[in-house]
Amino acid sequence: MSETCTCLGCNVGATVPDFTLETFEPSKGDFGEVSLETLRKKKMWTILFFYPADFTFV
Amino acid sequence: MGAEVLTVSRDTKFVHLAWQREEKQLASVKFPMGSDATGKLSRMFGVYDEATGLSLRGTFIISPEGKLMNSEINYYNLGRNIDELMRKFKANLHLAQYTDEACPVKWNDEGDKTLKPSAKLVGRVHEALSK
Repeated sequence: MSETCTCLGCNVGATVPDFTLETFEPSKGDFGEVSLETLRKKKMWTILFFYPADFTFV
Repeated sequence: MGAEVLTVSRDTKFVHLAWQREEKQLASVKFPMGSDATGKLSRMFGVYDEATGLSLRGTFIISPEGKLMNSEINYYNLGRNIDELMRKFKANLHLAQYTDEACPVKWNDEGDKTLKPSAKLVGRVHEALSK
């Protein structure tokens, strides 16, 4: 095992590069956008919660 | 409490809307639902499953400085414990303020015992916790 995984999941402590995602915002009932850069500027913590797919079960 | 929770899957924002509108279990959801249709963010975090094209159940806490503080990835068939996520999040808030402390295994909430790592503490964790 000489290769080192560079994904963030294996690199706690690393700096997360900025990203932007299109969103649906249930609180507004409308589409929007979330960017890590904006959240950082607002001094917010970010919790990312990945899951396999909509309309599934767990 | 100064945090944005963002749920992410490979679905488009249109499917997110349809699911949230249809599934009564999601009626009270307030979090923005992010679309990683390209899989780019899932790959970046190591949750992209090449075999299925779906994202594994990954949870990541990022500090206001953009530093990744926690990483947890579950396979498809195991749901996450929100109490444990809240415990980790509260611990992060505490440790960001008290940078010389550490939260031990049984730390659950503000007010619980923390440790201050030092030469004196080596081999004396039991005593420190039972004080």
